[in-house]
Amino acid sequence: MQDVYTIEMLNITKRFPGIVANDNITLRLKKGEIHALLGENGAGKSTLMSVLFGLYQAEEGIIKKDGKEVKITNPNIANDLGIGMVHQHFKLVQCFSVLDNIILGVETTKNGILQKAEARRKVMELSEKYGLKVDPDALVEDITVGMQQRTEILKMLYRDNDILIFDEPTAVLTPSEIDELMQIMKNLAKEGKSILFISHKLNEIMEVADRCSVLRRGKYIGTVDIKDTTKEELSRMMVGRDVQLVVSKGEAKPGETVLSVRDMSVASKLHHNNAVKNVSFDVRRGEIVCIAGIDGNGQTELVYGLSGLEPIVGGSINLCGKDISKASIRSRSTSGMSHIPEDRQKHGLILDYSLAYNLVLQRYFEPKFRNALGFLKEKEINAYANELIDQYDVRSGQGTATIVRSMSGGNQQKAIIAREMDKEHDLLIAVQPTRGLDVGAIEYIHRQLIAQRDAGKAILLVSLELEEVLSVSDRILVMYEGEIVGELDPAKTNREELGLYMSGARREAVKV
Amino acid sequence: MKQKKSILANETFQSIAASVLCIVIGMLIGYIVLLVINAKGANEAITTLIKNYFTFSSKKLILKNLGNTLIKTAPLIMCALSVQFCYKAGLFNIGAAGQYVVGAGASLYAALGWHMPWFVCVLFAMCAGGIYGAIVGFLKAFRNVNEVISGIMLNWIGLYLVNMLLSGVKETTSPYTLDLAKENTSALMPTLGMEKFFSNNTHVTIAIPLAVIIAIVIWVIQKKTVFGYELRATGINKQGARYAGMKENTNIILTLVIGGALAGTGAAFQFLTGYEQWTTTMSSVPAMGFNGIAATFLGGLHPVGTVFASYFIQHITSGGARLDKNIYPSQISDLISGIIIYLCGFVLFFKYAINLRLQARAEKELRLQRQREENASSADAKEEKGGDK
Amino acid sequence: MVLLIQYTLLFASVLMLVALGGCYSEHSGVINLGLEGIMVMGALGGALTLKSFNQAYAAGNVSAFVVVIVTILIAILSGMLYSCLLGFASIQFKADQTLVGTAMNMLAAAMATVIVKTINTSENPNNVSTTVAYIDAKKALNRNIGSFQFSWFMLVAVIALILAYVVLYKTKFGLRLMACGEHPQAADSVGISVNKMRWAGVLISGMFGGLGGIVYITAGVSEWKFEVGVAGFGFLALAVMIFGQWKPHIIALAALLFGFFRALSNVYSGFDFLYALGIPSSFYNMMPYIISLLVLAFTSRNSRAPKAEGIPYDKSSR
Repeated sequence: MQDVYTIEMLNITKRFPGIVANDNITLRLKKGEIHALLGENGAGKSTLMSVLFGLYQAEEGIIKKDGKEVKITNPNIANDLGIGMVHQHFKLVQCFSVLDNIILGVETTKNGILQKAEARRKVMELSEKYGLKVDPDALVEDITVGMQQRTEILKMLYRDNDILIFDEPTAVLTPSEIDELMQIMKNLAKEGKSILFISHKLNEIMEVADRCSVLRRGKYIGTVDIKDTTKEELSRMMVGRDVQLVVSKGEAKPGETVLSVRDMSVASKLHHNNAVKNVSFDVRRGEIVCIAGIDGNGQTELVYGLSGLEPIVGGSINLCGKDISKASIRSRSTSGMSHIPEDRQKHGLILDYSLAYNLVLQRYFEPKFRNALGFLKEKEINAYANELIDQYDVRSGQGTATIVRSMSGGNQQKAIIAREMDKEHDLLIAVQPTRGLDVGAIEYIHRQLIAQRDAGKAILLVSLELEEVLSVSDRILVMYEGEIVGELDPAKTNREELGLYMSGARREAVKV
Repeated sequence: MKQKKSILANETFQSIAASVLCIVIGMLIGYIVLLVINAKGANEAITTLIKNYFTFSSKKLILKNLGNTLIKTAPLIMCALSVQFCYKAGLFNIGAAGQYVVGAGASLYAALGWHMPWFVCVLFAMCAGGIYGAIVGFLKAFRNVNEVISGIMLNWIGLYLVNMLLSGVKETTSPYTLDLAKENTSALMPTLGMEKFFSNNTHVTIAIPLAVIIAIVIWVIQKKTVFGYELRATGINKQGARYAGMKENTNIILTLVIGGALAGTGAAFQFLTGYEQWTTTMSSVPAMGFNGIAATFLGGLHPVGTVFASYFIQHITSGGARLDKNIYPSQISDLISGIIIYLCGFVLFFKYAINLRLQARAEKELRLQRQREENASSADAKEEKGGDK
Repeated sequence: MVLLIQYTLLFASVLMLVALGGCYSEHSGVINLGLEGIMVMGALGGALTLKSFNQAYAAGNVSAFVVVIVTILIAILSGMLYSCLLGFASIQFKADQTLVGTAMNMLAAAMATVIVKTINTSENPNNVSTTVAYIDAKKALNRNIGSFQFSWFMLVAVIALILAYVVLYKTKFGLRLMACGEHPQAADSVGISVNKMRWAGVLISGMFGGLGGIVYITAGVSEWKFEVGVAGFGFLALAVMIFGQWKPHIIALAALLFGFFRALSNVYSGFDFLYALGIPSSFYNMMPYIISLLVLAFTSRNSRAPKAEGIPYDKSSR
């Protein structure tokens, strides 16, 4: 029997300059099914959905709706075709009521005046039918994240959309809210809605989806029926078995504890829960401890808490025997913390400053670089910068005078690494230090990290790349939803096991 | 390593070209307006505007009037520096107008009410402006009040406060404050003999060289000191500055204190020359502070640039006053200044657009290069794989 | 006393109109610091219209109704035209809204002076003043109720207030406008053109700003010296808007309060006990700004200002 597909994305290829985000991907969505789209970060899930929703146009391939080819050039056309999307970051006006948010853009009026009674009736009907409990008169800013999400779902239903895209919908929800959402999705499918569920959490996919398509590095890996598969198989499809980068390193010889974190919690900017929940761990001299996990599980906030960019709401941080829980960013830095930040352009560099100025960003106030009158010692700064440029092989157009904005990403990162590694420190926090860099630069950075370790520094590496996690680190801590759910030995574990921890399918109590 | 760099990418070139373009367009529109008002005299009028004091035939008058233009340039430079200094740290100091006003109040009251010598009066103006700026800073740092809004409110509060204050030292029959030359000559800023060069224009005081020196000092502070390093870093990338441990709130307040002090001192430079008196019935905030915004942007946001921009604005303003009043209104030069500052609004956008394009081009080249390398390496990898099988 | 009430109501009308105008603009996401300049241009258009009616109205050739309506329309049109400068720079070219607003204020003052002077000198070569007189036509604007001079503009302000409340809170347009000022990405995602709505907001603010301009210069006087602009009323209206927390009904109250202070400064010498206090008029003029500043200091952390105001909308950030 021929299956009935409501949406077919056939042989979609979408290129961005220098990268193929989607490489010949085919995705078929049956009417009334819940179809999961699984993949690591950067696998191309979001790009594919943006193509379907009309935010991007694919270079190759066609999209069919109910067997007829369609061109989706903007979100309005997607809407007209009945395609709706719950974005990862909600598109809700905070100071509007739930009802106003739902009708925005498709309001009914009489003599120019909004007619909300009819809309309210329809919203309440939908709410009842699918178990989407909302208070139509509450302001969005006053309601829970769960209710905000239900509002987004109602927005799609109110527009009579029958193809619903959920982009990582559970990332911001509490466990009980997640259960509720799962039930809602099942109800929606039962009523004939077709659902695309973007996720990297295996448990959820196993629980709710009918079929699952897997993407890896922009390529289509395959589609499986959930009832015929296992978590292990999905995990394998998601992470693949690529040739491992070879990083030569000797045995770690951990020494005294440098960083000691106890029960640290950090608030979230996105929702009312804490992004980091009661995390405890130690990092010792001469070891690389890696925080592994899928993006958005609290790693960013963990580092913000450690570096002082965000205040911690509970627990304590101890650096070299000194309590720095409430210390300023500067004093943490001068007490021996170096930090290679996640976002090098936002935090790590002053892009319109010269290379020399950026290389002293953490040290410009030291007597070495300023005189008693508060003037910068340009000569010393330049000499020091040249030293670092040579030592760390930072390439730029005009040497120390180069405006950093004009440098390549790899060299920008090298500049940050040079600065943070050369500065007096006992602890080095490196957050995704190899993101967006080419193979040569990645190898270079890995070598540097290991050299630091062997020089007796304590290193905390935050990485999303499994290969990096497995090959560089001496100890792996897996973070999932703001908690450390497992401690693994890279020599004894493998990608599959790591994948299970990262997607929340397995967890264990971690003792410090 | 050699790298070709388009002249378009040069920051200084971009700024100067943009300012010149704004001036040209502004003048052109001004010329059209002159044509519309009276086609016959328009050519002569626009030349008068540009020539300003050069319209006089005698050298003596030229120098005297050059002096007059310079006298009013000095306070304008100070206001422009105030705006520039704050802008570099990411703050829009629209409150410079009010800081100028309280500076005027403080210096004139010290001079006329307490008969202080000039340098004390300048000090008063500086402190008053600084304190006034500090209010904006505190509100911004600790109460999250936008500096533009609080600045505007304080401009008007300052105006009325100063009107009240100076009513105590005004002439009995007019709304003007007492004449410094009669009341307290020690409060007049010294001329150091400069008046001789300007045909005995005794209002030409050390305020003029001081303003230029201060501009250079500001430049040095911004460019050469740790403080300037921090401020500019904050202005370019607030997040980055925070990451590097700079104290955001302290720097906000300090910036506005200095900005306020500059504008306040500007007022002293204006009123302690005796060239002008304060009108205690003034119903709107003096334009000096707002003109400072114009000079800042026209000066390409550079302290030394503001000196030239301030002079230019004052030059055409004085030039406007020389137009035949029965044919052309003198405010034509204000009109031109207004147009120029409006056009300055587009400058940042166009600079941004040009740089974006240059950057995109550079990135594209880099990407192509990387792609070539990648292709080469992936070809290698394929070979290896083939070998495994 | 009647005079105090009359001035309070007149000034409140001005402040209400202009603040409501600013309210539309800010709700669409554009900060309109150029209100002062827009007022000047509206005042200019209106004043010149009134002036041209001087003779005809004195001779009884036109009805008061026509004078009022035409004056209002021209003032509105002038304000709208002038506000295009803001829309063009800040919406089309994403220019700094503070800078553009400031430029507009400076430009308006200069432009009005140049225009008036040119007209004056062309009529009489010896007249280099910036004064526009509309003594006769102005009578059309008022109706005496006892000693109270009722101005039709008071009625207009009340209508504008009711209209603003209805438009912002009860219509499709208002809902979409406010969505653009709060969360333009959200508005865009449901098919609303953010730029179009922002243009609408700016033009409406121009409309009310222009109207407020003519109301202000006809309050109490019969000629206006354009050198002085509108003496900071545009900024005072901004204060009213902030004090009114961007909500029309609170704006109305704020306008009354601030109008009262302004009126006091004009007529306080008529009250024996106030005169005896010896507080200069500057003090009353200052009060509204001080109150606004205090309100800002204590409420800014949870201010009701539109969240996306002042930020140019960039489609790629959706």
